[in-house]
Amino acid sequence: MPSEFSPPNGEIPGLRSITIDGIRPARIDEPERPEDVADILAEADALRLGVAPFGGGTSLALGNLPNKVDIGLSTTRLRGIIDYEPTDLTMSVAAGSRFADVQAVLAEHGQTLPIEVPHPERVTIGGLIATALAGPRRFGAGSLRDLLIGISAAHPSGTVTKAGGMVVKNVTGFDLMRLYLGSLGTLGIVVSANFKVLPLPRAESTLLANYDSLSGALTAATAIRTSRVQPVALEVARVSKTEWLLAARIEGRDATVRLLSDEARKLAAADARTLTSDESAAWWRSYVAELSLECGVGESLIRCSTNPGGMNAKLQRAEERLISQPGLNQFLVSPGLGSLVVRIQNPGEDARDSFIQIRESLLAVWDHVVVLAADPALKRDIDVWGRTPETIDVMRSIKQEFDPHRVLNPGRFAGHL
Amino acid sequence: MDRATLVDRLEAIVGRGGVFHRPADLLVYEYDGSVDGVVETARPAAVVLPTTSEQVAAIVRLANQAGLPVVPRGAGTGLSGGAVAQTGGIVIALTRMDRIIEIDPVDRVALVEPGVINLELSDTTLPYGYFFAPDPSSQRACTIGGNVAENSGGPHCLKYGVTTNHILGLELVLPDGKLVWVGGRAGDGPGYDLTAAMVGSEGLLGIVTKALVRLTPSPEAITVMLAAFGDVESASQAVSRIIGAGIIPAALEMMDALTIEAVEPQYHAGYPMDAGAVLLIEIDGIAEDVEETAHEITSLCRESGAREVRVATEKYERDLLWKGRKMALAAMGRLSPNYYLHDTVVPRTKLPATLKRVEEISHEFKLRIANVFHAGDGNLHPLMLFDRHRPGDVERVLAASKEILTFCVDVGGALSGEHGIGTEKRDYLTLVYTGDDLAAMAGLKNAFDPRGTFNPEKFFPKGYMCGEVRALRAQAMAQKHGIYAF
Repeated sequence: MPSEFSPPNGEIPGLRSITIDGIRPARIDEPERPEDVADILAEADALRLGVAPFGGGTSLALGNLPNKVDIGLSTTRLRGIIDYEPTDLTMSVAAGSRFADVQAVLAEHGQTLPIEVPHPERVTIGGLIATALAGPRRFGAGSLRDLLIGISAAHPSGTVTKAGGMVVKNVTGFDLMRLYLGSLGTLGIVVSANFKVLPLPRAESTLLANYDSLSGALTAATAIRTSRVQPVALEVARVSKTEWLLAARIEGRDATVRLLSDEARKLAAADARTLTSDESAAWWRSYVAELSLECGVGESLIRCSTNPGGMNAKLQRAEERLISQPGLNQFLVSPGLGSLVVRIQNPGEDARDSFIQIRESLLAVWDHVVVLAADPALKRDIDVWGRTPETIDVMRSIKQEFDPHRVLNPGRFAGHL
Repeated sequence: MDRATLVDRLEAIVGRGGVFHRPADLLVYEYDGSVDGVVETARPAAVVLPTTSEQVAAIVRLANQAGLPVVPRGAGTGLSGGAVAQTGGIVIALTRMDRIIEIDPVDRVALVEPGVINLELSDTTLPYGYFFAPDPSSQRACTIGGNVAENSGGPHCLKYGVTTNHILGLELVLPDGKLVWVGGRAGDGPGYDLTAAMVGSEGLLGIVTKALVRLTPSPEAITVMLAAFGDVESASQAVSRIIGAGIIPAALEMMDALTIEAVEPQYHAGYPMDAGAVLLIEIDGIAEDVEETAHEITSLCRESGAREVRVATEKYERDLLWKGRKMALAAMGRLSPNYYLHDTVVPRTKLPATLKRVEEISHEFKLRIANVFHAGDGNLHPLMLFDRHRPGDVERVLAASKEILTFCVDVGGALSGEHGIGTEKRDYLTLVYTGDDLAAMAGLKNAFDPRGTFNPEKFFPKGYMCGEVRALRAQAMAQKHGIYAF
């Protein structure tokens, strides 16, 4: 069932210019076919030009300051559903397709990709794969890592290669799908991807409960997490110094959702309300919108991760360190995933010093600390991905095999690969 | 290095009882779980059974000095030749590294050594309210390390996903003998996802010495349903209707008439002997939800022409229904001295056409073929019955299996859903992948193992050595770029 998305006013809504950490590429290419992407990459490889792939341009802030940006390669013209058989619960889609467009097609058949991102109307499938960013629903519904079943990518060797296929269970060949996932386009530019899709839940609800302390909210979160409620998303967010919000999203059959919502409400042991169906979905859309990677002057968005069981003590320390920090705009906790996201804005003169200190203090405690986005002035001289992985040598060898002359997003990935 | 020196040096690493080198001791290691004659066998120079990660690393470093290949092995239940030392060398059998090091119910993980048996892990975590979801049919014998190497599936991966969805981190020995960790308890680590790259890499990239696995909460309620149909087509239709209604059961298995004929007289699972096909459907979750879903599935099966639907909620009833499915392979002995268990996968909607083609192939090649498979995810297991002592039987089986594979690939399927490529299907890889696709995969192999030490002559088609691939790729790149020097 291949189909094109009808562009509004007959125009492909592509970005015509981008900047990456303040650098504007000299040239923007908008190839229409996978082979054209490969040709551009082969040219870049021969001439040693730096290529920055982009889709909706919503996540360009992710990554280290680039070594060089000569070509901005837009995937926007690679668009449309390549194959969709609802009864197979599989879909193949071109990389430049907008996430919201894909979801709309799936929704017509009562299906979905159970992931959530800010700016769904602009984000492309290729961008989702390159960044592997996942929303709160990852706790119960998994992430793209669990859904990706096949992939095609163009490489600086001038080839377009595929891995995986259109079946939900497949051990034919190495898993290059997950190797490319989250690789920030540094091994190849994804031109299309195949997914396992899921039925839309028949009903959903969201429990919202208020607490006057972080520890109060975390205690309730643990009670819900270890109960039979099994929410698909479970978040704790700071509203103000003395106000914390717990949100638990429950999905399933109507009767089950009602039953489990009541159980969750009892476990929350606090002043709580329940949102249902559209209201629930809308609440999560606006919650996820807050995770936007767009940053202003002196602003940074930092994600810390650890194991869920070791999280509470680290959170208390982070709270003590940051709670009086001027410009702390977000403090979002995913107790089931062991992750904390903070957004801090400091437009003052000491912005960089303060940012470096905060990052160091987090690095001292958390397993992984990734600066998801920041004012480019803050990113100077650091690896935004945090500590260099133990296996950096293997990663360097992989990069060498796939992109020997380092033309794909050079310098931007972990360990400045 | 001569054999005596090798054995001495290996014994210096693992102790005297940890090395096998006499022909009689090596014999069993020439095989894996597949049928003699269908998958190749080969004798290693020595088999070594380490007990620690450091010993594995030391063995690999010794192999590098001696210039010998290394083949990792678990319980040897694999069906694609992955654990057979194709070019000789050292087999590292990990079955003595069988400790469950830690069960952490808060993080919902277990840290285990590679020799832990799949079912033992679930049995051990059960009292904590958790299980390890991948459940290959060999789960009573197969090891977690083997599951990682093959990215094993099983009936319950329809709902819970395959092994790769349940591995959070791995301790590995790399081909240069270095011991490293990839992944871990904390998610979102920086860099390429080497954990995912390792899972399903068939021992070509690294040797797992510890695995950090995800534990899944045990469902509070489980119901197993048996639906009997007049033919395979109406059973397939029921599968489509269930999935189409937005229901993903925990398992959705199909058995055809020939399988029922083998199983029922032996195990009395209660499958109707006159049915053309039966579906075994398991649903689990919240009690109230499971009950409601069972009603809905019953209606969907009846609408598709089920002549009988039985619902088992008590454990002994459920176990009996499953027994027939789980013992299906063993029961084939009633029908034939040998069978070749095939593993292919097609898009779910192509199941009826594929089963029809399998039936035609059965007639064309005069082979009886039983079908018992994971219908929910389109993963077929045609069982070809034969007698390997009858001249021509093995050849007919191999020819028929090629026909089946070709058909499956033509309708958009893949070569293997859960058994792996190994030596069994390496020469079919070009049915699904181009030279460029394989060159990209060879790139990953080269990055980990430039000297080709780990599990050589596997996975890549014969004559497709990594060195040659690299040369071909360099040539192709040069032509493409119009440049001729690197």
